Amino acid sequence: MAQAATPTLTQNILRDGLILPRTPDPAAMVIFGASGDLTARKLMPALYNLALNRYLPSGFSVIGVADTALSEDEFRAHMEQAVQKFSRSQPVDRAVWQSLADGISYVRMPFDDAAGYGRLAAELERVDRERGTNGNRVFYLATAPQFFSIIIDRLGAAGIAKAGEGWKRVVIEKPFGNDLKSAQALNQAIHTVFTEKQIYRIDHYLGKETVQNVLVFRFANGIFEPIWNRRYVDHVQITVAEDIGIERRGKYYETSGALRDIFQNHLMQLVSIAAMEAPPNFDADSVRDEKVKVLKSIHPIDVANDVVRGQYGPGWVGGQQVPGYRQELNVAPTSNTETFVAVRLKIDNWRWADTPFYLRTGKRLPSRASEIAIQFKNPPHLPFAKTAVEELTPNVLVMRIQPHEGASLKIAAKIPGPVMRLRTVNMDFFYGSSFMVESPDAYERLVLDCMLGDATLFAREDEVERAWGLVDRIEAGWASHPPAFPNYPAGTWGPPEADALIERDGRRWRRP
Amino acid sequence: MSQDHTELSARTFVDVHDIQEELDQVRWGLHQDGEGSEAAQHAAAEARASVCNLIAVVSNEPELGEVIHVLDRLSVTNPSRTLILLAQHTREADKLEAEVSAQERTESGHRVSTERVILHAHGEPARHLASLATPLLIPDLPVILWWPGRPQFDNPLFDDLCELADRLVVDTDEGFDDADLARLLEVARRTKAQASIGDLNWARLIAWRHVAAQFFDMPGMLARLAHIHGVSIFHGSDGQTAQARLLGGWIRSRMASVGIDVPLEFRPEDSLEHGVHRFLIYTGGNEGPARFSMSRLRGGRLSTQIRLGEQELAERTVRLESRATEELLGIELTLPGHDQLFEEALDAALR
Repeated sequence: MAQAATPTLTQNILRDGLILPRTPDPAAMVIFGASGDLTARKLMPALYNLALNRYLPSGFSVIGVADTALSEDEFRAHMEQAVQKFSRSQPVDRAVWQSLADGISYVRMPFDDAAGYGRLAAELERVDRERGTNGNRVFYLATAPQFFSIIIDRLGAAGIAKAGEGWKRVVIEKPFGNDLKSAQALNQAIHTVFTEKQIYRIDHYLGKETVQNVLVFRFANGIFEPIWNRRYVDHVQITVAEDIGIERRGKYYETSGALRDIFQNHLMQLVSIAAMEAPPNFDADSVRDEKVKVLKSIHPIDVANDVVRGQYGPGWVGGQQVPGYRQELNVAPTSNTETFVAVRLKIDNWRWADTPFYLRTGKRLPSRASEIAIQFKNPPHLPFAKTAVEELTPNVLVMRIQPHEGASLKIAAKIPGPVMRLRTVNMDFFYGSSFMVESPDAYERLVLDCMLGDATLFAREDEVERAWGLVDRIEAGWASHPPAFPNYPAGTWGPPEADALIERDGRRWRRP
Repeated sequence: MSQDHTELSARTFVDVHDIQEELDQVRWGLHQDGEGSEAAQHAAAEARASVCNLIAVVSNEPELGEVIHVLDRLSVTNPSRTLILLAQHTREADKLEAEVSAQERTESGHRVSTERVILHAHGEPARHLASLATPLLIPDLPVILWWPGRPQFDNPLFDDLCELADRLVVDTDEGFDDADLARLLEVARRTKAQASIGDLNWARLIAWRHVAAQFFDMPGMLARLAHIHGVSIFHGSDGQTAQARLLGGWIRSRMASVGIDVPLEFRPEDSLEHGVHRFLIYTGGNEGPARFSMSRLRGGRLSTQIRLGEQELAERTVRLESRATEELLGIELTLPGHDQLFEEALDAALR
């Protein structure tokens, strides 16, 4: 039917009212390290689940790049097996998988082979032509870190990442550098090809629903922010505890340790979101500006007094006898790599001055727990006769990230009876009890966000460098004092010095 | 998911205060003397997550069983206080019975408990069940009224409960004809309407709407949408047309919002099973003719295709969820306020 005057549409009105993310533009995702563990365990299952749930656009394509001898069919078969094994949605829908697999191809090449990038460029052109991806590209670096700079350099030289038709983005896995200098060098190398707005540094922790829930908990509930400051908060404890050891990651862990593996990224992310001011909105720069302000406000760490490191020896965890770190696979028998770190941080700003943040992370601790605990000050005076303020345990608000995501608040209540006696009770809330639905994997959220151009949940250059600055300071402080490792048995909450660190201030670690 | 389900208590009452008392008992895990064991109180404290009050109205015993089954499963994702009203306007003597029970579940390590009250009324009390329901609701939580089957629009109980509710949920796939759809629209548009309207059939159409919208998210395709000149909807010929009408009403109302009239073609086919099977959008204009098609495949899938002139673009296959009633209800429970789009789609479907 002919229209009298055809209006110009500026937005997709069919999308109105759909509480679903926008659909990304058709794009090709080039995965470097396509035959590796991360691609099989996380990336391909995430892409399959995005396709299954209608989040991927028509024409979406994947080009796997690796130096493993595989035909295209073998690569697709390998990916299908990975999806069957690791996808959260089971059983795998053959038709949906086939629809995704139709857009999967493979280019075999060493990452430093200039000629290989020519073949990759030709493959991208084919995909653009045949599948309508219009030059939109995500380069996903799922490789060992030593290849990051080489791949970026070759992409630049081959002109594959050049601005032109379509958008180009690069995703970089952690670790992003291993100290401030290397992180800065890597940033510089990437910036020769990509602008900061094109760079997506993944810390999968931020893709977790429960980490995002901390922001919702703080900024969507009017009752917490007024007391979220030095006036009412005595101190904050942030724990990322693992009961497992290093599994088969000895080779990696020997070069990393707890400081680089967890403190520099996950713990710093949790400190930032627990301490940040409310952003004006939830866009990438507004949120990251506030997080960086927190990192900038961290008082220079007095390593001798405010940091404790540890390494586990043999012990018992969960009723199982486990070896010490030095007995683990691919670990040097005299290794001085730390598997535990506890740090006392001071944040020099109006909100948190004189309110310490105690952080700890470790392997082979008694239980697995990630949480932010806000311990409030006691009331200044109790009007109840014969009940001393000291008898009360303080109010503690705990935001649990894993396991059993949720929040709990410890409050005082009267014990029934004629005498005024108080007892502390816990009010627990499990997200699972109200939203007992399966959450998407962090990678699904992050891959989709990257394709949509939303970098809110990715680390920015200054954020990464600030965190490395803290790590460097701690490393420098440790350099002159060799540790006496192992100094805690597996299955305990770290070395005694960690207890002393907090007890000096008249406080105690929580048992998560 | 691992699941463990325990029926904590089930007793019958006729006095609203007795019912309230028993609800408190089962909710907080207290014993008869008002003192609870520490363990029981702790267990109760752990289980206190309620997201709404849910009132369901049924008209007979078999329907009651089905509704209990749905609500039991719904409680896993939406722990709520549930009131089930069985109103029988028979010539029997006035009679009112109430059964209070609590269920405790453990799902994947989380403990959830919910309370359920079944109010069974005959005769005059059946007309005044809203007055009994009101004091039994958990304060400050939204009240969802689920009316399975075709609502009794002329029953005063329907109006009373709509006044009490924040949201009325129906399923227009349960035999709603055009007159019923019109009555539903009338309810939604009452000047004093407190309750927003939800429709499980509308929730079933999310995937179709999502995929249709995605066509025009693609670069260059939005301009084609402005040149839409027709829509065809293929559906089963079992006489149940509400789903197809709603889908057509949706695209017609969306396009009407920018001043474009879309002719709708409904194609009932004997070979097709119940519901919408194929949805085709035709566009023209300077960009040339295009056809955007979505087809339901066996096994809960949707296949999408774009044809630009004679050129077929990349096909894709995605999931078309076949959601159980409790899942559809769960979607409805998370939607805030009036669903303007649904009301406009309903209106356009009837024009």
